[in-house]
Amino acid sequence: MATDIQISIVGSAGDGTIAAGEILRNALAGMGYKVISFDVYPPEIRGFGKCIARMRITTEQAYSLKHKSDVLVSLDDSHAIPHANEVRDCGAVIYEQGSIVRLPEGGHMSAHVGPGQLPYPVPIRELSEKSTGANRSRNIVVLGFIAGLFNLPVEGFRKAIGKKFRSKAAAAEASEAAFKAGLDYAAKTFKLDDVVFGPPVSSVVAGATVEMINGNAAIVRGALDAGIDTFFGYPITPATSIMERLAAEMPRRGGRLLQTEDEISAISAVIGAGFAGARAATSTSGPGLSLMAEMLGMGVIGEVPAVLFVSQRGGPSTGMPTKTEQSDLHMAVYGGHGDAPRIVIAPTNVDGCYRCAGKAFEMAEAYQTPVIVLIDLYLSNRYETVVFPARPPFEADMNRKPGKQAAGTQYKRYALTADHVSPRTIPGDKGGMHVVTGLEHNELGRPNDSAELHTAMSRKRHEKLKAALRHPDFTHYKRFGDEGAVDVGLISWGSNFGECLEAMLKARAEGIRCAAMKVVMISPFPTHGVSAFLADCKEVLVPELNYEGQFANILQAHVARPVTRLSRVPGEPMKVEEILEEIRRLAGIKAAQKAA
Amino acid sequence: MTKAKNVRHHVVIGSGVAGSQAAETLRDREPDARVTILTLSSLLFYNRYDLPKVFRGHRDWREFLAYPADYYRDRRIDVRRCSRVAGVDGSRRTITLEHKEEIRFDTLLVASGGRGYIPEELAEFRPLMHPFASYTEAVTAANVVPDRGHVIMLGGDMIGLDLARTLVDTRHRVTLVAGPQTFWPHEVAEDERPGLIAALENMGVEVVEAADAGGIASIEQGAKGLSARRVLFKDGTELYGDAVMPFFGLSPSVEFMLGSGTDIERGLLVNPALRTTGEGIYAAGDVCQIWSDADKRYRFFYGWKNVRAMGDLAARNITGGDDPWVPVQDEKLHIDDQGKLQSPFWEYE
Repeated sequence: MATDIQISIVGSAGDGTIAAGEILRNALAGMGYKVISFDVYPPEIRGFGKCIARMRITTEQAYSLKHKSDVLVSLDDSHAIPHANEVRDCGAVIYEQGSIVRLPEGGHMSAHVGPGQLPYPVPIRELSEKSTGANRSRNIVVLGFIAGLFNLPVEGFRKAIGKKFRSKAAAAEASEAAFKAGLDYAAKTFKLDDVVFGPPVSSVVAGATVEMINGNAAIVRGALDAGIDTFFGYPITPATSIMERLAAEMPRRGGRLLQTEDEISAISAVIGAGFAGARAATSTSGPGLSLMAEMLGMGVIGEVPAVLFVSQRGGPSTGMPTKTEQSDLHMAVYGGHGDAPRIVIAPTNVDGCYRCAGKAFEMAEAYQTPVIVLIDLYLSNRYETVVFPARPPFEADMNRKPGKQAAGTQYKRYALTADHVSPRTIPGDKGGMHVVTGLEHNELGRPNDSAELHTAMSRKRHEKLKAALRHPDFTHYKRFGDEGAVDVGLISWGSNFGECLEAMLKARAEGIRCAAMKVVMISPFPTHGVSAFLADCKEVLVPELNYEGQFANILQAHVARPVTRLSRVPGEPMKVEEILEEIRRLAGIKAAQKAA
Repeated sequence: MTKAKNVRHHVVIGSGVAGSQAAETLRDREPDARVTILTLSSLLFYNRYDLPKVFRGHRDWREFLAYPADYYRDRRIDVRRCSRVAGVDGSRRTITLEHKEEIRFDTLLVASGGRGYIPEELAEFRPLMHPFASYTEAVTAANVVPDRGHVIMLGGDMIGLDLARTLVDTRHRVTLVAGPQTFWPHEVAEDERPGLIAALENMGVEVVEAADAGGIASIEQGAKGLSARRVLFKDGTELYGDAVMPFFGLSPSVEFMLGSGTDIERGLLVNPALRTTGEGIYAAGDVCQIWSDADKRYRFFYGWKNVRAMGDLAARNITGGDDPWVPVQDEKLHIDDQGKLQSPFWEYE
C-alpha cells in the first residue's frame, strides 16, 4: 500500500515545534519513508511568532508539499486555528484538550475542527507535567501520541530522540518519559481517522547512502565532496547554516573558513582565494548579494573562479528574512555594473542542491568565472530524503593549464582562443606571471581600453560561458510529462518546480495533455532546448515566486513567445492547487477556442 | 465556526436524535441564526439503534453516520465534538466548557440524553464490563467477542435486548442475567414477566434470574486461568463468557445543569412546551421529564420516534411556537405470532 501522508505541527516559538518536526522526519526517514519537509518560523527567537513544521511522507517519489494535510498537530491553538481548514476530510486534528486560562468563544481548537475532520483532544500539558515534572516536553508527548495512533515503530522515534538530545542527558531522559506518556495515551484512544502508514519501500542502490537533509546541508555536502578549500562568509538568514555546517566540517578536512566582517570582505577574499588556485566559496542572501555585486564584476573581468551560494528570502531591503521568495533572479543574472556575464544555476530540489554545489566548482574552474548557485529559503530549509552516490560525481580539477611556453614569449593570461577560455596559471607556477586588474586589459592583462580590445574581451567573457551549456554530467534543463504536442506546458525554476511538477501530474491525471520543464542553467540561458519545448506547447505557464515574473522576463528575452505568468509573493511555497487551477483554465481556454 | 452580529445563537447540547433533529428544525425556521451543537462524541450524529450492526461486520464509522459532513457545512450547523460542558449559567446565558471556553447563547436546548446506568453494587466492576452506548464502545465490545462467542448481558433493558436479537442472529450465545431493569423502559406488570421471559428464551436468549442466584457477588477476569470474564453469583453458581455487557437503562446526563437556575429532579423538568424553569432554556429527549396533566406528574418519554419529535417540538417552540408535547409512539411491549418479543422502542428510521 502506497503511503502519502502530510503532517503539520503548528506552535509558537519556544514550544519545540521545529524540534518535534526534526525528530519526526528523522524517525520516519530512518524507517525508510521518503520525506519532504519544510519548516516555517518567525524572525524572533522565542516567545511569540508562529512556527510550522510540515512534512510529507511517501513511499513513491513526491516533489512538493500537498495542499491539504492529513494530520494537524496544535501546540498552540492561537497559531494553529487558522490552519484547521488545511486538513482534509477524514484527516486528524490533534490538540490540547484543556486550558489553564479562560478562553473566549472560538479560542479553542475544538471550535474549528471541521465536520469532516476527526478531533483528537489530548491532555498534552498534563501528560508532560506528570511524566517529566514540567510542560517543556509537550512536543515529545505529541510525538508519542502520533507513534501510537498511527502504529509506527517506536524504536525509530527513540533513535531520533536520542540523536536530538545526545549531548543533553537530562533532556533525553525527560523526552523518553514524555514520549512514553503520549504513546500510552494513544493506546487508550480510539482511532477514527483514515491515515494509514503502509510499509516503507527501499530502492537504494548498493553502496549509496540515504540521508534526510535540507538544501543548505546538501550544498555543504556537495561543496565538501567537490573539494572546497576555503570559505569566507558573513551570516545571513536563510544562508547562515551553510557557513555553520562548513565551519564544523572544513577544519577536519584541512580546509579553512573565515567569518569576515561583512559580505564585501567575504566576496573579496573568495576572489583572492580563487586567484590563488583554491576552490573558494561564500554564501549569502539577497541583501548580501547586493553588497557583493561590485566584486562579482571583479571576478568576471579578472576571470577568476568563485562560487556563491545565494539563498533568496522575501525582499526588498531587510524584507521578510524568514519567508521564501524567488525575487533575486534579476540581480543574480544581471546585478552589477557593466557587461558582467556569470553562470547562474538554480537547483529545484535538495538532491539538486548537492549536485549543483559540486558542479559549481567545476564550472567556475572550467569557464574561469563566478558561479552563483541560486536557491531560496524554501529549498534551504526543505528536508528531503536524498540518495547519495557511493563516489562523489565531481571532477577534482578542471583548470586549463598552459602548455609549455615558447622561448622568448610572454604568458598571456587572457589569450583569445577558439573557445574563448584561456589557459590559466596560479601564483607560483613557473612562467605564469601575469597582471590581474579590474581595468579592461589586453591578453597579457595589462590595462588597455581600446575599442577593439574591449569588444574582443567582452565577447570572450560572454562567449566562453556558452560552453557551460554543454557542461558534462549536468542537467541543464529537463522535460517531464507528455511527449510531443501538449495543451499546456509549464516552465519554471528553483524550489517552485516541485509544485509545478505535482500540478502537471495532477493535470495529466485529469486528462489534460501537459508537460513541465525545469530550467536549472539560467545563465547562460539554454535557448535551444527551451525553444524546442515551447514549440510543443499551445499554452505556456510560468509559475514563480516573485511579483514581476523575473524568470518569464528572462525567458522572453531569449525566446519570442507569449507566456502566461503566475507570479505570487505569499512568502511561502506556491500551492499546487493554484497552479493546477491555472492549467485547467488555460486548457479550458484552448477547448473553448477549439469549439469556436 | 461562523459568527455574525445581531443574529440569535441557538446552542444545542447533545448530538443524538433529539439534538440533531432540533438543529435541523432551528436552521429551517431561522435561516440566519447561528446554530451550534455541543457534543461529547468524536463523531457526527449516528443512530445508536444501528450499533448492533457491529456484530454483523460493520465496523467503519462512516457507515453509521446519519448525514455526511456536507450536511452540516451546507446548513451552517457548527458541531463542536469532544466538547464537555462544565456548567451553564442561565442568568448570564453562558455555557462554560471543560476547557474553560465560554459560549454565549440566546437559547439553549439540552438534549444530552442519558448514560448507561450501573447499579451501585456493581459499580466497582465497571472496568470489567463492556458498555454499548457509543460507536467506540460498540466496536470495542465487538472486537473482544469472538465468532460464536458468549456474551453475558446484565440487566437487559430494551437497548440490550435489541442487541441480544442481533447476537443470537449472528450465532453468538447470549445469557441474560435478568433483574428489575429487564425490559426497561417498559413498565412490566408482575404477571406479565414470565411470559415475556419465555418469549426471550424462545428467541434464543438464555435467561438467568439474578434474584434466584442471590444476586451477583463479583465479576472477574482471568479466573481459573481464563482471560475472559466470570460472573460469580452469591449462591456460588457462576457464568463464563467472553464479555459482560451492562444494560440497566439510562440515567439522564444533567450534572452540568446544576446551578444553572433550572429545576432538576432525575431529569430536567420541563412544561409541556419543553421549557425548563430557566429563561430561554429548553430540554428534549431522554434527559427531560415532561409535565403530564393527565398523570399529574413529570415523566420520561423514550423511544426514537418520541425523542426525535421532542427535538423538533423544542426547536419549533424556541423559534416562536407554543405547542404542547404529544407522544408519537406506542409504548406497549408485546409478543408476536411467532412467540417473539416486539417493542416499539426497537423501531426507528
